[in-house]
Amino acid sequence: MPRTQKKGAIVAGFLAPHPPHLVYGENPPQNEPRSQCGWEQLRWAYERARKSLDALKPDVLLVHSPHWITQQGHHFLGVPQLSGKSVDPIFPNIFRYTFALNVDVALAEACCAEGARQGLYTKLMRNPHFRVDYGTITTLHMIRPQWDIPVVGLSANNSPYYLSTEEGLQEMDRLGQATRAAIEKLGRRAVLLASNTLCHWHFHEEPALPEDMSQEHPHSLSGYQWDMRIIDLLRQGNTKEVFRLLPQFIDEAFAEVKSGAFTWMFAAMGYPEIPAELHGYGTVIGTGNAVMEWNLEGA
Amino acid sequence: MAVVSAFLVPGSPLPYVKRDNPPWGKIATGLERAGAALVRSEPDVILLYSTQWIAVLDQLWQTRPRVSGLHVDENWHEYGELPYALKIDTRLAKACVSATGTIGVKSKAVNYDGFPIDTGTIVAANFLNPGGKIPMVLASNNLYHDFALTEKLGRLAARLARKQKKRVAVVGVGNFSGAFFRHEIDIAKDKIVAPKYDRWNKKILALLQAGDGKGLSAALPEFATKGKADMGFKHGAWVLGALGGKFTGAQVHAYGPLYGSGGAVVEFDL
Ligand SMILES: [Fe+2]
Repeated sequence: MPRTQKKGAIVAGFLAPHPPHLVYGENPPQNEPRSQCGWEQLRWAYERARKSLDALKPDVLLVHSPHWITQQGHHFLGVPQLSGKSVDPIFPNIFRYTFALNVDVALAEACCAEGARQGLYTKLMRNPHFRVDYGTITTLHMIRPQWDIPVVGLSANNSPYYLSTEEGLQEMDRLGQATRAAIEKLGRRAVLLASNTLCHWHFHEEPALPEDMSQEHPHSLSGYQWDMRIIDLLRQGNTKEVFRLLPQFIDEAFAEVKSGAFTWMFAAMGYPEIPAELHGYGTVIGTGNAVMEWNLEGA
Repeated sequence: MAVVSAFLVPGSPLPYVKRDNPPWGKIATGLERAGAALVRSEPDVILLYSTQWIAVLDQLWQTRPRVSGLHVDENWHEYGELPYALKIDTRLAKACVSATGTIGVKSKAVNYDGFPIDTGTIVAANFLNPGGKIPMVLASNNLYHDFALTEKLGRLAARLARKQKKRVAVVGVGNFSGAFFRHEIDIAKDKIVAPKYDRWNKKILALLQAGDGKGLSAALPEFATKGKADMGFKHGAWVLGALGGKFTGAQVHAYGPLYGSGGAVVEFDL
């Protein structure tokens, strides 16, 4: 059971992207396919993030994943234990992962209720046969391979795609505020994980050997430049400017942050103007991925 | 003639998991009628394309001889599970993988235990091929393929089936108008989100019923944008491609709302 305290708090947020290639490159026992190597700089970035997370000693990890897409409402995993085999539908050759996770159902229920209070349509996912999406699983494995911290999983309502980026991200902002209120109410020490890639332009063919790093590089110079601009602003703590630029970044770099995790996390943290710790950056099949941390306790 | 029957069916799980809701029950009954027609046509194989099987790199084809499991829809989990047990025509599927290079498409075979089968494929298979008795070829929806290229894929798959001397049922799984309600509704009073989408759906259905291939081709691009057709109506492209555009009319076994989107069960007259 999560240890409780008087008033809960978000102690940190991480930008924690989910290319399944990182799990494949690491060769954990849970994943069937075996690799020789690959994407070390990103994997080592996660190694640093793992150490930080360990020191934070959170009660719960909350993860918003673009690969649990819902059309009707924002959903929350709401079953105490979920397990199964997750096969990536796009990269089944490299990700076939046997998972088992524990859900902080009380917190999921509180997030769901707070979201409804914020005027969002929210739903709890109570079906024990539900297959957790590969984005959630990859992010959780990369940040905490021990799987010993309870989780709250949030779906990505497709509002930024179905409505407009701006309208959708306004919903994610409210979802973030609701998440924060629930964490505070229940007295949890919480860490938020925004499971998002930055520039999402990608190559359309995999190398014959997926881990052939001689083939790995940014898809385009402009996408790379966008990523560096955003990362640098985040390193400076210039959150306001990042969110001013966000719609343009999304349009021009096809950034996966459109799906809402990044906005959700920042809204929950209250858009702190603190410098981010960049644990590392790397590309995966041409897309730009940064592992970054905002430590609110040290701030 | 290789194609002995052809259908368009919706991929929503609602008629399957919640048929006791009258508007969705109507669609379920239509799907059963289509299933009976499909079985009567005595196909050797079903060529099925679902808009919900999303691919972004290669064109994917299922090549595992048997796929079975229990799926829970990402959005409609509260209504229960979707069991499935399908037999795959691996010889034909592999022929498709090998041949798409001729139309400039790179394909990949998918043969993995636990590979996620999409809701649309399962719902269509459970209604049209109960018990999974008829072997199937399952094709993905590559997001970077357009209507014309999807037509070519359908045509190619049917041609390869003919080469293997197989009688074919071709199925496109997807919605008509794709606009939906985002919030809680009284499901017993489900309706198409807006009258303009209802009009668009009915216009396309009328062209299908009239066997007006030319009129249909002319109307589809606008249906994709103004009618918000699901995935640009590429499931229709798959079927029309397999038919070489030739059909004399169509029967509409059901038409109605699926949480606001347009669900139609259509059987082509060949
Ligand atoms: Fe992703």
